[in-house]
Amino acid sequence: MDFTFSPEHEALRRMIREFAENEVAPIAAEIDREGRVPFEVLHQMAEMGLLGVCFPQEYGGMGAGEAGYCILMEELGRICTSTATNVGAHIGIGAMTIYLDGNEEQKRKYLTPLARGEKFAAFLLTESDAGSDAAAIRTRAVRDGDHWVINGTKTFNTNGSFADIATVMAVTDPTLGARGGITAFIVETDTPGFEVGRHEDKMGIRGSSTAELVFEDMRVPHENVLGKVGEGFVAFMKSLDMGRLTLGAAGLGGAQAALDWSVQWARTREQFGVPLAQKQSVQWMIADMATEIEALRSLVYRVAWMVDTGQPFTQVAAMCKLYGSEVASRAIDRALQIHGGLGYSRDYPIERAFRDARIAEIFEGTNEIQRIVIASRIFREHGVRISP
Amino acid sequence: MRITVILRRVLDPAGIVAHRRLRRLFINREEYILQPADRCALEVALRIKDAGDAEVVVVSGQPEPSDDTLRRGLAMGADRAIYLCGESFDDADDAVVTSVLKTVIGQLGGADLVLAGATTLDTGQGQLGIRLAEALGWPQIVGVRSVEAKNGRLRAVCQDEEQFVLVESDLPAVVTVCPEAVKPRYADGVRLINVYRGQGEMAESLETWDVGDMMSADELVPLLESRGRDFPPERTLGERVEGTPDEVAQTIADALRQRLRG
Repeated sequence: MDFTFSPEHEALRRMIREFAENEVAPIAAEIDREGRVPFEVLHQMAEMGLLGVCFPQEYGGMGAGEAGYCILMEELGRICTSTATNVGAHIGIGAMTIYLDGNEEQKRKYLTPLARGEKFAAFLLTESDAGSDAAAIRTRAVRDGDHWVINGTKTFNTNGSFADIATVMAVTDPTLGARGGITAFIVETDTPGFEVGRHEDKMGIRGSSTAELVFEDMRVPHENVLGKVGEGFVAFMKSLDMGRLTLGAAGLGGAQAALDWSVQWARTREQFGVPLAQKQSVQWMIADMATEIEALRSLVYRVAWMVDTGQPFTQVAAMCKLYGSEVASRAIDRALQIHGGLGYSRDYPIERAFRDARIAEIFEGTNEIQRIVIASRIFREHGVRISP
Repeated sequence: MRITVILRRVLDPAGIVAHRRLRRLFINREEYILQPADRCALEVALRIKDAGDAEVVVVSGQPEPSDDTLRRGLAMGADRAIYLCGESFDDADDAVVTSVLKTVIGQLGGADLVLAGATTLDTGQGQLGIRLAEALGWPQIVGVRSVEAKNGRLRAVCQDEEQFVLVESDLPAVVTVCPEAVKPRYADGVRLINVYRGQGEMAESLETWDVGDMMSADELVPLLESRGRDFPPERTLGERVEGTPDEVAQTIADALRQRLRG
């Protein structure tokens, strides 16, 4: 057993940390306040090769694997959850679907510019009546010669308002359910009929864009079908598995930041004549945070290793997302408590971190859905099928 | 144009705590960064390369147990790296490093421009570039802010007390660069991964040269002997200026004027 990072991953982390501290940290509060996507940062990351961190070099990626991708998400999660969200939606689900299920030509044409960061990706699944129940989508694709005509409305689309390339899930055969009736498509967002609707005014991750998208008689060529017709649901679920792992990594970064702030504050803040660090109530909170963070770190990077070595990871990826989001929320909540009134103030980054962390318990499959995924795998081994 | 950049590393100050009372330095995380001025020197070299045709070679300018420093240089955009090692090199001081670097530059077939940091973060010394220029018998420009190399001539802007001075020189020359001169670029991720894995275009980019094969044992005897380390004397506190804002401003202005003259 060897739990050490490779020298290239150590070097990658140093590079990303320096970048995040120097370029992302100074704008994190501002993009939250103004609700603006930090394109200047995303373009810089593209130049450094970070927007294709996990994809093979033959498709314009960096080739740092899933471990490299987790390092990126952890370091961004430490500094700015909005930026981590923009990057995660681009790499982890948008481009990832094309990487996992695209054919050679689709990967050359679409994955390469995405991995180089020349174009941005989005992953369009959720609809107003299909949230946790993702198979209940109504967006319809009808074959018309060499094309498919797509009509429908997608909600809560991260990056959807500015993405150049989107992967879209639509019903191709209403008589069949999730298996056989749903197909994934690659859509160039300048296709006529692709319209950006309402932007969500969110509680947190305000430096990321979440918009409604409307498709009206949008014609997509048949060659842009991702994988096989009728197998879109499975394709999307595979990408979501991958995304779940890296959400755990982003949560790890957020939790670590909360611990770092708390230790720093407890060292210097004096009450009753001694620093808070001398108070057992604070010591216990710090110890609990550190223990959970250590457990999460082991989980995240072990699962990254499982992905990079080709092992099945659906169940453990769900655990990463579930545990990562809850550890982050708990750590940030404790950090807020340790900082008292100042933690509640917008002058300190904890208030933003608190709002930002909450979404991770909801998006990319609520934590309830993650528990269902985990439990269904456990029961399946014992011959019991459970339905959500 | 052939440019050689001397790179050194330094313990990341973020991982160190200095304890004056115990007269001890606690190293919490033994992590190294590139000397900031050396990194700027490399950035200056890469900008010359971007603007025209140049080959940038990075050379380790200190005895060290890892070749990480040079890999970072390669990841930023250097074409080739020479890692100097050897048991006899481990105790080298600046004098020894200077004569080794002179030999290395000779074996590389010379250079048109040698760049090094003007100062070091840990000891504050800026000796290496100056000594190297002297050993090579080349012109030296110290503490530059910007450099332009064209048609065998070098133009550099350096800081001289309160003013900037434009200096010209023939090539080859040795130039030392201020840590504030330029904002160095971040590494290119693809190069970084390939440098560490020794693959792709970076496969042959890092060479290891044994100093023992290049120099005689006599040449590697350090001139300096280190007898120990201690903290510099504590800074004395400044003076508190009292009075109306106008009086305070006047007193400070007078004091600054006095310092500039003195």
